[in-house]
Amino acid sequence: MNISRISLRQFRNLEPTELIPIGGFNVFWGNNAQGKTNLLEGIHLLGSLKSFRGARNDELIQHGETTCRLAAEIENRGVRRQVELSIGPQGKAARVDGKEVRRPADFFGHLRPVLFSPEEVTLLRGGPAGRRGLLDRAVFQADLTFLDRAREYDRCLRQRNRLLREGRGADQLAPWTEALVSAGARLRLDRGRYLDRLLPLLQKAHRQIAGGEEEVDISYRRGTEADLIDSLRGELERAKQREKMLGQTLVGPHRDDLEFCLLGRSLRLFASQGQLRSFLLAFKTAQIEDLQNITGVPPVLLLDDMTSELDRCRQNYFFSYLRARQGQVFITTTDIEPLLAHGISTARYFRVEKGTLHHDRDE
Amino acid sequence: MLDSVPSFTRLVVELAKFPGIGQKTATRLAFFLLRQPAAEAEALAAAIRELKERIGFCSVCFHVTESDPCPLCLDPGRDESLLCVVEEPQDLVAIERSRSFQGRYHVLHGALSPLDGIGPEELRVAELLTRLRPGKVQEVLVATNFSVEGEATALYLARLIRPLGIRVTRPAHGIPLGSDLEFIDEATVNRAVEGRRDF
Ligand SMILES: [Zn+2]
Repeated sequence: MNISRISLRQFRNLEPTELIPIGGFNVFWGNNAQGKTNLLEGIHLLGSLKSFRGARNDELIQHGETTCRLAAEIENRGVRRQVELSIGPQGKAARVDGKEVRRPADFFGHLRPVLFSPEEVTLLRGGPAGRRGLLDRAVFQADLTFLDRAREYDRCLRQRNRLLREGRGADQLAPWTEALVSAGARLRLDRGRYLDRLLPLLQKAHRQIAGGEEEVDISYRRGTEADLIDSLRGELERAKQREKMLGQTLVGPHRDDLEFCLLGRSLRLFASQGQLRSFLLAFKTAQIEDLQNITGVPPVLLLDDMTSELDRCRQNYFFSYLRARQGQVFITTTDIEPLLAHGISTARYFRVEKGTLHHDRDE
Repeated sequence: MLDSVPSFTRLVVELAKFPGIGQKTATRLAFFLLRQPAAEAEALAAAIRELKERIGFCSVCFHVTESDPCPLCLDPGRDESLLCVVEEPQDLVAIERSRSFQGRYHVLHGALSPLDGIGPEELRVAELLTRLRPGKVQEVLVATNFSVEGEATALYLARLIRPLGIRVTRPAHGIPLGSDLEFIDEATVNRAVEGRRDF
């Protein structure tokens, strides 16, 4: 999968931008606050409809304008498609090959970018929601239907919470509890199946990064769908009194935590900053590998400010991994020296200055 | 808008209340009616008046009808032991069009949705239970939509009906998840009703 053309209009601080990336490495470099990360954000929006910085629509639109427009041409196994996204203050409109796309699910899948941002290291150490998000985004990239199931669960959850808040009786609550159990068990099954695939890849990548001493693991509920249905039903049964008191659903996939482990101990509690970085690097590498196994094509990688966050040893690993793999990569950096030193093969360099892109050289 | 012509404005405001009709379309429709011969406009007005005067809901199954009980409820050729529960009259029409079902119907007029303030009291649930009490019905096919709300409604009904010793079934798969019965082609509805499963 390759992006062969990108066009950004009235997006953030960027001047109208037309960009012809190459199939290998594309490097956006320049000082901070010039618009490098905005470029990655724009590409990511074209694949996910969401800002990875959690920005609202009006923050994406250039100051003084009412809409912005992002477009890309994507090549996948000889098929060329145009994807377009118009963003107004009220909403987003997506088009594929000029035709309006109604269901968001029909837009995803044309471009499945994997983002790697150093800020994600904080997710490993923060609350459960961050770790769930990290996993759920990966599950969704690999299986686009996961989004429909997650939305279905969310709808059940909100309906059931309303009944709990209104203090309704058991007879009205029961059907929503049943619906929640089957939708919730399915989400846990989706996550568990994904982790079953991911773990061997994660462990292999981590051994290469950390030198084979430190074994990693991710613990999460496993079992058949029937087991997961039984266990979630039991959890809800035990939480019944507390739910009544607090007026909301207290157990289920929306509250689950994932325990990331290093040598059998919680990464969250015991790992050093360096160990967290190694883990995240291994997680992303495994995600990329899995996505490639599933779709048959290497996904587009978006790497935000990698060189500043990784120490020399991890940089060596990561760049040798990137050199060995096929596929398109977009990198932002303040300093191109490490990239040149690592001898990334075919690369196109763009200097970013005050929202303007200068294509300055090809290597 | 044409504020100097209040009767025109009034028509536009009324037309814009229709689902899927905005201000612009409403204005276009109003101009169309203005250009029509008086007889055409009269015919439309009469049709709308009759809708409210002559059409109501069947007091047995709550389908739309001009006579009460409706022809479906009076048809002696229909299997009284089999009852199909749907959310809306248009769902009943979709199943009838597929000719896959020979029993009788019950229209709930909605599905459970606490977020929209719709509980069992807002639906024709009590009337359904009253119909089941005499013991003629042996199977209830719950054909609510395959949405979260439709599924929850089906689960709710199943819990009420099963203790009466009545078999409860649900249309089989083949209907895309999250879809409304009304928009599915006849062949698919047909297969789904034939292959219904216990629930
Ligand atoms: Zn009737």
